[in-house]
Amino acid sequence: MDTLHSLIYGFSIGLQPANILFCFFGVLLGTLVGVLPGIGPVGAISILLPATFRMSPVSAIIMLAGIYYGAMYGGSTTSILVNIPGEAASVVTCLDGYEMAKQGRAGPALGIAAFGSFIAGTLGLIGLMFFATPLAEFALRFGPPEYFGLILLGLTLLIYLSHGSVIKAIMMGAFGLILSFIGLDPINASPRMTFNILDLWDGIDMVPLAMGLFGIAEVLINIEESETPQILKTKIKNLFPSLLDWMQSKGAILRGSVLGFFLGILPGGGAVISSFVSYGLEKRISKEPEKFGKGAIEGVAGPESANNSATAGAFVPLFTLGIPANIVMALLFGALVIHGMRPGPFLLKDHPDLFWGVISSMYIGNVMLLVLNLPLIPLWVQVLKIPYRILFPLILLFCIIGSYSLKNSIFDVLLMFIFGIVGYLFRKFDYEGAPLILAFVLGPMFETNLRQSLTLSKGSFSIFFTRPIAAVTIILAIILLITAFIPYFIKAREKI
Amino acid sequence: MGLRDQMSGFFWLAISIFVCVESAQVSLGTFHSPGPGFLPFWAGVVLGTFSVLLILISILKKKGREKLREMWKGMRWKKIILVLFSLFLYILLLPKIGYITATFFLMIFMSGIIKRSKLWIEIVIPLITVLASYFIFDTWLGILLPRGIFGF
Repeated sequence: MDTLHSLIYGFSIGLQPANILFCFFGVLLGTLVGVLPGIGPVGAISILLPATFRMSPVSAIIMLAGIYYGAMYGGSTTSILVNIPGEAASVVTCLDGYEMAKQGRAGPALGIAAFGSFIAGTLGLIGLMFFATPLAEFALRFGPPEYFGLILLGLTLLIYLSHGSVIKAIMMGAFGLILSFIGLDPINASPRMTFNILDLWDGIDMVPLAMGLFGIAEVLINIEESETPQILKTKIKNLFPSLLDWMQSKGAILRGSVLGFFLGILPGGGAVISSFVSYGLEKRISKEPEKFGKGAIEGVAGPESANNSATAGAFVPLFTLGIPANIVMALLFGALVIHGMRPGPFLLKDHPDLFWGVISSMYIGNVMLLVLNLPLIPLWVQVLKIPYRILFPLILLFCIIGSYSLKNSIFDVLLMFIFGIVGYLFRKFDYEGAPLILAFVLGPMFETNLRQSLTLSKGSFSIFFTRPIAAVTIILAIILLITAFIPYFIKAREKI
Repeated sequence: MGLRDQMSGFFWLAISIFVCVESAQVSLGTFHSPGPGFLPFWAGVVLGTFSVLLILISILKKKGREKLREMWKGMRWKKIILVLFSLFLYILLLPKIGYITATFFLMIFMSGIIKRSKLWIEIVIPLITVLASYFIFDTWLGILLPRGIFGF
């Protein structure tokens, strides 16, 4: 009953005209960003973050969250019509979505992607509502050792689930921590790695780092590719899936929703992994696995549902524990801090308007997205034809303004430029930016909680093993790290 | 990939040594009472250890060894260098000549890098973009963009 009352309260905030407008703007932009290859929700949120400084915190998070889950809807359009994923969580949709389009079934593919996303998004929100409150109350028992253990587990999970090399992921995590330590020491204010540059005394800000690594780097990568995507010439009809399509997809949608939600909660999990795991699961349990890759509607319904449900799940650790589960949540974490809010178990108590307002806006946003994505598909197809030479200077412009506007500082623009080069080189040398940025965001909390724990225990490390939650999380982190290296040991043994 | 990993491994090893040295200068403290340099030092040690591991693995891998020239095959060097150079010049000139002037020339240059077009399109679209962005961000959102010697 409390939850229901809180949800009604949330709708009283979400349905305010300004918030409806910001929600609409967020989901529209998110869909656009999802449709356009070359910029994803991370880049878009980084670029728009400074524009939210003058908004209320609730409106800011409503809009930025709208970009995130809106991009999941938009990404499927290009996957199905052009065989180019609009963003990473829609990669898997290319496999069967494009095949369906080639068979003249683009309409049902687009339709089931949109409806599946809507159903999964709604179910994910229900999960968020029912999980967040008890988890936030449980988290009130957490002290510095528990937070240290959780952050360590989160960083380790992210490394464990990284797409590429585990060794490189660990290196990126370590480098992210190092970058987060630049500036004045939080306890005794000694300058660390500031090289006598006054601008570095406050440390490096997340905005120029994220814009450089993800915005500028993406532009540089795309400049190397000059091909305009060829849109499949097919009539898009029957956007409402048939009864047979629903019968075939209903299981995939429900499984994707549940899977996506729980994977979204895990640090390092999120929409991308959810979509891949969902596809793998559907193929494994299908009675006709051979039709996957050749236009199986379950291969579209499952992953698209999973990636949307994961966006709701990702809010659980952010709102309840103050730990971002992925890069987008790390940016929202930064947004909350910039707006003077402390993500964590006290957020629900101190700012229920934020939590319930955002949840209600996500319900509203999901409805808007269903309306935007189906009838407006021909419009989104036209958007794909915008020449990149018009698009990329705009992206650069937004990155420059975004970095500058934080502190009216040219130095931040210079930092963005440097990290843009770094991000480009990361792509060329196969390093992932996600472990770096997550470690960067969590670094200050990691250090503060470690030092506070050691102060509490008068310097004894046993505090991490005598408190049950801290002990469990640290032991889990150690086990994960060891299992991440098992493939290396097996390969080494085979060679011997 | 082997040669790339070796090169990047040595780079990260150099960074880790630098970080460890810098951290030691600040004061490491002890395990029981960490100083300001404690965590940066150990993060540097982790970075250094795994970069050595990366170097060793890449040396031991015999398959897929690429030559230095092949690493950069297919890269459109010129465009990347042009974009980076123009961005750097833009950052240097921005506080001196102001947002509108500097950004106008940057936009013209950037759109021309990908593909040349008719002169009036190359001037009109950047002009509209710059003026619109100035209005939205400076006038409406109140972000004080650099003014420069021309006052705008």
